[in-house]
Amino acid sequence: MNLKSFLKLFNISNKNFAKQIGVSAVSLSRYIIGERIPEKKIINKIFNQTNGLVDANDFFIDKKNNEDLSNSDIQEIDSILFNLRKGSRPHLAKAITLVESLLEKDKLRANLLLSKLKENDRSIRIGITGVPGVGKSTIIEALGSFLISSGNKVAVLAIDPSSKQSGGSILGDKTRMEKLSVDKNAYIRPSPNQGHLGGVAKKTFQSIRCLEEFGFNIIFVETMGVGQAETSVYDMVDIFLVLLLPSGGDELQGIKKGIIELADLIVVNKADGGLIKQAELTKNEYTNASQMTSDSRIDLKPNILTCSAVENKGIKEIWNYISKFIKSSKDKKMFYQIRSDQRLKNLWADVDLNISEYMNKNFKTKQYIKDLINKIEKNEVSLTEGSKIIYEYLTKKKFD
Amino acid sequence: MTNNNYKEWKKIAEKELKEKDINELNWDTPEGIRVKPLYTEDDLKKLEHEIGFPGLPPYTRGPRATMYSNRPWTIRQYAGFSTAEESNKFYKEGLRNGVTGLSVAFDLATHRGYDSDHPRVVADVGNAGVAIDSIEDMNTLFLDIPLDKMSVSMTMNGAVIPVLACFIACGEEQGVDKSKLTGTIQNDILKEFMVRNTFIFPPEPSMRIVSDIIEFTSKEMPKFNSISISGYHMQEAGANQVQELAYTLADGKEYVEAALKRGLDIDDFAPRLSFFWSIGMNFFMEIAKMRAARFMWSKIIEEFKPKNPKSLALRTHCQTSGVSLMEQDAYNNIVRTTIEAMAAVMGGTQSLHTNSFDEALALPTTFSARIARNTQLILAEESGINKVIDPMAGSYYVESLTSDIIKQARALIKEVDDVGGMVKAIEMGLPKMRIEESSAKRQARVDSMEETIVGVNKYKPTEKQDINVLSIDNEKVRVKQIKRLKDIKDSRDMNEVNNLLKKITEACRSSELNLLEVCVEAAKKRCTVGEMTEVMEKVFGRHTLSSKTISGVYGKAIKHTEKINKIDVEIEKFIENKGRRPRMLVVKMGQDGHDRGAKLIATAFSDLGFDVDVGPLFQTPEEAAMQAIDNDVHIIGVSTLAAGHKTLVPLLMKSLKNNKASNIKVICGGVIPPKDYDLLYELGVSKVFGPGTNIQEAAIEIINII
Repeated sequence: MNLKSFLKLFNISNKNFAKQIGVSAVSLSRYIIGERIPEKKIINKIFNQTNGLVDANDFFIDKKNNEDLSNSDIQEIDSILFNLRKGSRPHLAKAITLVESLLEKDKLRANLLLSKLKENDRSIRIGITGVPGVGKSTIIEALGSFLISSGNKVAVLAIDPSSKQSGGSILGDKTRMEKLSVDKNAYIRPSPNQGHLGGVAKKTFQSIRCLEEFGFNIIFVETMGVGQAETSVYDMVDIFLVLLLPSGGDELQGIKKGIIELADLIVVNKADGGLIKQAELTKNEYTNASQMTSDSRIDLKPNILTCSAVENKGIKEIWNYISKFIKSSKDKKMFYQIRSDQRLKNLWADVDLNISEYMNKNFKTKQYIKDLINKIEKNEVSLTEGSKIIYEYLTKKKFD
Repeated sequence: MTNNNYKEWKKIAEKELKEKDINELNWDTPEGIRVKPLYTEDDLKKLEHEIGFPGLPPYTRGPRATMYSNRPWTIRQYAGFSTAEESNKFYKEGLRNGVTGLSVAFDLATHRGYDSDHPRVVADVGNAGVAIDSIEDMNTLFLDIPLDKMSVSMTMNGAVIPVLACFIACGEEQGVDKSKLTGTIQNDILKEFMVRNTFIFPPEPSMRIVSDIIEFTSKEMPKFNSISISGYHMQEAGANQVQELAYTLADGKEYVEAALKRGLDIDDFAPRLSFFWSIGMNFFMEIAKMRAARFMWSKIIEEFKPKNPKSLALRTHCQTSGVSLMEQDAYNNIVRTTIEAMAAVMGGTQSLHTNSFDEALALPTTFSARIARNTQLILAEESGINKVIDPMAGSYYVESLTSDIIKQARALIKEVDDVGGMVKAIEMGLPKMRIEESSAKRQARVDSMEETIVGVNKYKPTEKQDINVLSIDNEKVRVKQIKRLKDIKDSRDMNEVNNLLKKITEACRSSELNLLEVCVEAAKKRCTVGEMTEVMEKVFGRHTLSSKTISGVYGKAIKHTEKINKIDVEIEKFIENKGRRPRMLVVKMGQDGHDRGAKLIATAFSDLGFDVDVGPLFQTPEEAAMQAIDNDVHIIGVSTLAAGHKTLVPLLMKSLKNNKASNIKVICGGVIPPKDYDLLYELGVSKVFGPGTNIQEAAIEIINII
């Protein structure tokens, strides 16, 4: 990071820092604005004083790839934020597009936007997962309509799979949420998962914050239930619902056991027509087989319900459970603790994502890395040796 | 002896092939049937079916003993547009010129049970059919057409009860007792849930309605076909011939079981069940399909132990395939329709509609309708085809193909039976998925030139042809209809109306009462189609579609060509510039439920690397604009087949503008007359794509637009 950002981040005055590294305030300001490059000795001091956050590269390499946003960028972000807070849906939509964008510049703009959002502890974030056909959208439609009728504002983020072959996707959730999709108190935004598994989750977390800033107080995050995005989604919601069909066994359900273990609440859908009995059986099976389910984040039992989304039965009961869950979680002060833990988890998820993006985009394409890989392939350099060289390069141990 | 000859033939044939294997001449059809280059006497020894005699079970050779040698098929042209007056004029013109039976096309507002003054149908009134709001419109529609002499077929499934009620009441006001009415009501709701989407109520009450009609007609209207079990719309939606056959027969079985459950005797209603096939370009396959259908149906009905052999006979109407009509080089469609009509006749149809060549562009004109009609007249009166009963019988190829189709169709029916019948299968989306798969595969074959369409993907014309088409001033029709509705409502006895509407509610709640019977009374007292539907809806609910869109099928079926690579490169470039993939919303606005095109576009574009949003059916332009904005798409693709584009697209553009979202581009695709292109471009539409557009070329163009 450059020196200017460092001093700003840790609230250190130019004067104090100049004293710490033993230069005059005037020299320091010249380093900061890039008028002069400090000599080696000073660079070493700066490196040590900043715990390595500011190093030689930060003086020698002109980071013109828009570390700083232009005034018009800043104005645009301010305008998006202003209008979003005023309730402009087009601006909300743009904000989410920005957050999801793959462009470096957009990432900076998104960061600026996100840094201005307030934390919101009044919202309820609900994760919903289950295999295709289990009725996720139908339940969200029923639950959402019910919530809107009692004065809530409901947003749905649906994560749809991108094709591994073409990269494209079909985002059809609105066809299954006909009422919500035309309700002005609802907002549904399907997003393609873009193939990388953790990636979408990070962006979903940020999208949730945009929706809350807009004024939605109930946020659903819907995923496919095939074990990719679910763990990440679990770490960004207050309560995690797993939907099952009325039939026995995880194998039949096609849902991964690991996901069922995450459930704060299991709902057996399609308890209608000839399947009512079977739904009850499934419910009992999961209630008894405690090894299949683990305790929810807060221990609130029983956490298995049945419902029929098409017949609108059992929907209120689901909501009762969710409200009880959130209330109990807040009473025990766990709600805030979990959210704060989640912020950290999402921090590390973000870091992981950036590192892997850097590795794939910039690092692996470098000529010397290609040469090194070539040597490892030919067994001229051993695998452990190669790994060590790369690690040391990445962590820049040379200044220690 | 035969065997020896076959060997000799093979030797010579292989010499002609210059060492190539004879098996390379085999043709694997989209149905999964392997067609050999030569069929022989040997092939007749392993047939699944009996050939038999015409007019005798199992009716493989036709339901009547004399077939066309005595009387040709009924020339029944499907038509209807604008107001009842206009359609009435058109019918009479046809009747003067060789048409022998009527077939009414209703507008989409009527199909979906909305009166013309309903806000959701602004773009639909009078467009793709005639607007019928009440018995008054029905009276005008059949003015000077005596219903005891004219057989009338009505394509109606959603609002089937009110519309049939108006028809029966109209007969009575002409002085014709319902027992004398002849014709057919489509009344086939299952295929609506599968492909056509002009349903109103959920499946369960819909099936009850079907049973009510079968019950009523079997008692009161002995000359009227209570149902037309239709494969037509399945083939239109992309089904192959085996799927069309299997799912239609499975639907039929479901209706039979529903009627039996109602307590009817099989012989009371089975002779009045009729069928409806689409006839496409695969000539022999279509003939074989019709023969296979008759044989299989008689076997299916046999299990219900009828005493009357007529219960076993399958009678059918046919229509040449609409989806085989192309916008490009449109006069070719006359030839296509002729070939298809011949297949229908060789297959032994009881009545036939031939499409007009301009129907890929718009509604037919007087001129194109005349050619379509004459196509049938020439076949019936010039060709001599009608002189001999079932001329295809005994053909090595046709009988073998019939047998192959039977085998394949039985397997599909078994798949349906295994999940518990057609209603269950439809709920699971099984047939819909199979049909969409085969639709996407076909498009991929055409786009990669594996299948030839003359004038479209090969031998393209160099000069543009101007074709005159009919257009409807939909707003004028709507104003007229609204005025007429007001007049009716002002002059009727409201007490009577309210009582009858209450009675309909009662009938909905009680299975003791027959809904059709109650509604005939209501129609006579001037209750409107919309009013009757509305009270039924209050009890039954309005069905919404949970639709899944398949993916990957198109992608797997296309050949990796330069074009595909170019699309990949363009998309990569796009992502580098914009930070995400091109994102397109595919919408269907208005009451047009034909979503084959929209689904095909969605699945193909996602397989080409787009992010594709799909809108719910029956959206208003405002809802579509809102969805585009909420999802922040780059472009909206409007799929339109029912002539609503002139009303709906301007409203969409306006709605985008009002929401400051004019940056979202709009393209249109579907059946759009070329003369409307300029109007759409003036509105700001970026591009209009007609039927037969190569999807891969369109993809490149769209990336350039956005």
